[in-house]
Amino acid sequence: MAYLALLAGFAIAGQAAAQTSQPGTLRGLDLPGLSPQGGAQRSGPAGPAVRTRHVTAELLSEHVTLRPGTTAWVALHFRIVPNWHTYWRNAGDSGEATRIDWVLPEGYAAGDIVWLPPERLPVGPLVNYGYSDEAIHLVPITVPKDARPGTDATLTANASWLVCEEVCIPEEGVLKIGLPVAGDPPIAGFREGPIFAKARAALPKPSPWTAKYRFDGNRFRLDVAAPGLKRDVIEDAWFYPYDHGVVKYAAPQKLTVSGRALTLETRRGKAAKPFAQVGGLLVLKERLADGKAVTQAFRLAASEAAPAALIGFWEAVLLALLGGLILNLMPCVLPVLAVKALGFASHASEGRGMARHGAAYTVGVLASFAIVGAVLLAVRSAGQAAGWGFQLQEPVFVLLMAYLMVLIGLNFAGLFEIGGRFAGIGSSLAGRSGLSGSFLTGVLAVIVATPCTAPFMGAAVGFALGQTAAVALAVMLALGLGLALPFLLLSMAPALLRLIPKPGPWMVRFKQFLAFPMFATAAWLIWVLSLQAGDAALLGALAGAILLAFAVWLWQASSGASGRWRPIGIGLAAVAVVTAFAMVRFADSGMPAPVRADRTPESAAAAGIVWEPFSEARLAALRAEGRPVFINFTAAWCITCIANEKVVLRLESVRRAVDEAGMATLKGDWTRRDPVITEHLAGFGRSGVPLYVIYPPKGSQKKPMVLPQILTEGGTIAAIRSMAEETRRAERSGD
Amino acid sequence: MTERFMTLTAAVFAAALLVSVPAAASAPEVGKKAPDFTGVDSNGAKITLSALRGKLVVLEWTNHGCPYVSKHYGAGNMQKTQKAARAKGAVWLSIVSSAPGRQGHVDGAGANRLTESRGAAPSHVILDPKGIVGRKYEATNTPHMFIVGKDGTLLYMGAIDSIRSANPADIPRAKNYVTAALTEIAAGRKVSEPVTRQYGCSVKYAY
Repeated sequence: MAYLALLAGFAIAGQAAAQTSQPGTLRGLDLPGLSPQGGAQRSGPAGPAVRTRHVTAELLSEHVTLRPGTTAWVALHFRIVPNWHTYWRNAGDSGEATRIDWVLPEGYAAGDIVWLPPERLPVGPLVNYGYSDEAIHLVPITVPKDARPGTDATLTANASWLVCEEVCIPEEGVLKIGLPVAGDPPIAGFREGPIFAKARAALPKPSPWTAKYRFDGNRFRLDVAAPGLKRDVIEDAWFYPYDHGVVKYAAPQKLTVSGRALTLETRRGKAAKPFAQVGGLLVLKERLADGKAVTQAFRLAASEAAPAALIGFWEAVLLALLGGLILNLMPCVLPVLAVKALGFASHASEGRGMARHGAAYTVGVLASFAIVGAVLLAVRSAGQAAGWGFQLQEPVFVLLMAYLMVLIGLNFAGLFEIGGRFAGIGSSLAGRSGLSGSFLTGVLAVIVATPCTAPFMGAAVGFALGQTAAVALAVMLALGLGLALPFLLLSMAPALLRLIPKPGPWMVRFKQFLAFPMFATAAWLIWVLSLQAGDAALLGALAGAILLAFAVWLWQASSGASGRWRPIGIGLAAVAVVTAFAMVRFADSGMPAPVRADRTPESAAAAGIVWEPFSEARLAALRAEGRPVFINFTAAWCITCIANEKVVLRLESVRRAVDEAGMATLKGDWTRRDPVITEHLAGFGRSGVPLYVIYPPKGSQKKPMVLPQILTEGGTIAAIRSMAEETRRAERSGD
Repeated sequence: MTERFMTLTAAVFAAALLVSVPAAASAPEVGKKAPDFTGVDSNGAKITLSALRGKLVVLEWTNHGCPYVSKHYGAGNMQKTQKAARAKGAVWLSIVSSAPGRQGHVDGAGANRLTESRGAAPSHVILDPKGIVGRKYEATNTPHMFIVGKDGTLLYMGAIDSIRSANPADIPRAKNYVTAALTEIAAGRKVSEPVTRQYGCSVKYAY
């Protein structure tokens, strides 16, 4: 096959050389007397080369013939001497993009240059975008339907380019290529085919994500909605805009990956006019577990972040404030605050001292929100998706919250009193311990609020997490202020307290009633826990709750007792408490949820690859059968996983490649915690999904292949085929 | 306890404020005050922009070895633009930010010889071998043009003309942005194209 192509190549080269009667001409500014060389010795569909002092330019055709009614690909190919550069479509601070004016036979048409991703070329304090060593400018040529087989077509490119090192030299050349028209399927040039293949591999792909941009003072900000992308695997990210004036080329582009979006921030450029849309290339360098780096370029068309869709800072603050206010009404918070308010009402006469309590309570709330905000930011900067209530993904946290709700419920129900310090009832409001009690009530209000979300909160917290730390903290504190506000107002305006009916026995009844919302919250938390950690954890949590109640009752019952009953009561209560907390063990992901392939985003029923549930044993068995294995580690909550599945893995072409390779396909579902999968992920240096691995059959010398986190059709099929190739080689050589 | 938490909260707020203070940047911006500078001209005289208040000032970044600069000087276009500007009372400062040993670097005598041999008409040629003035204006190319109004406001920045090439044959077809801006300023109108994309060689800064 290759031999045939070689022969064909020679034949064409002869023709091309014969018919380009006028050889390539050249008009470089400071290059007198250089004559073009080459032509006769070419061994493929390439026109005669034009050689300047810095560039060897050739016009190449991917195929040795042109087929009527198709698009043929040609390339203006530069070899550039070391340290010199030619330029991308947007050349950056200086330089000029290479340009081609075509002279084509009747009916033929040339498209624009399809640009490959450029490099950043720093020149002192300036930065240019261009190419060193080699530049390939792909151009599609439309061959007319009525092109007559047997005739020849001469394509002429009048090319001009700027080539620079320290200094710049504008050069130009006329490049010609003659190609025969033939009706047969075209054959790739022996030497040219690989150059086109290389160029195609580097071609920018359409972005799988939407992007938004914003100019903010002298800053430019680009948000790419790439959920699930992890910061630690992105080695480098750079946005190359098509238009001048979008960014300052030499300014660093600050990368943040929030789990929802990849954001680049930099200095804005000096644009003459506003942009309707900002187009450009996003080039991501991803570090794989085996230490190799994969660079991919994506074509982005970013629309301006619409002020209506994306809320502004003050709007977020306002929403946070409202959300915080409404949080007061949530079943987990309201009872705690109501009881505190009752305490106030019964001391309404003390006036000024009340304001101090309100302030202490507010500080308690704000300090707690500051801490929650800081934790959220820390989680986010570690590249994890984080949102309000992220702690609830942790079963141990859920269990402890459930216990807390039970205890508060028991307290309200009247089973025990903690000297009034917790809820502030019965303590001296003027006293210092009373003040710290108010502070602690603030802290408690935040803790009990964590499982609850109020309307408006989602938007505000979502906004906050996409912002700088300062903005995020400001929004969190606004949320806290909202939560604290009703109480603060109440404490500062004793007149309002008078609206509460006079203290009396109704207060006790009301407080007892409030125990039930707390128990309801506890029940909900235990249900969440059972989903996360299974039946055993459910049993453990219920037993623990009862033990806690028992301990509290023992404590209370023995408090009035004399002699040895008191220490016995305390001792037994302590044992019960310790046992209750020992139940945490059950929640501590010790009970993996069973792997169920049907829970994953795209079930096996859909067209495409049929996935078997992953297990180490199944993997080993399949490999022992001599089959390569494709493993898809995924989760229902992982949006990147779902996107990959929808965009790539469900493609017919991918399924075919898998079938042709005789490849087995396993799916590891990490929707719930799964230590086996976690361990497997850790083996590849990952802490989360998605992870795509292709294992070779047992006995192969080849290592497992890790695919990029963002799959592409071409890359995935190429990886599958290369593993299939390896499998066949192993079969031929051994066994 | 309460006091301690008050302190903590205050500290958090203070830290948040510190983080949010934007980095000071004084890039040239049309409609804002042009960055002030003091440079030494080819005859050793100190030239300060703010001392020229009351006059229009044109800044031209140049490098005589650059083909794009040669395009405009070779065809007499830059000289013509200079003379027209000075006839309107403007001060023309040609600025050379090329570092020693790099393309376009000249000393005072060299600069004066170039002015004479090319029949150029700048008010002063400012020698900026350390690139201090160039970096202040974020000058990236030669030629790169700026116009500072009588009140010190930046009125124009960008290219000399509208055709981005090194070919002198393009000059007659191109719109000369500097001449157009000066005409509009003289007529008391707003500059209709106050920012254009400069083109040419990179400024050969010291680094």
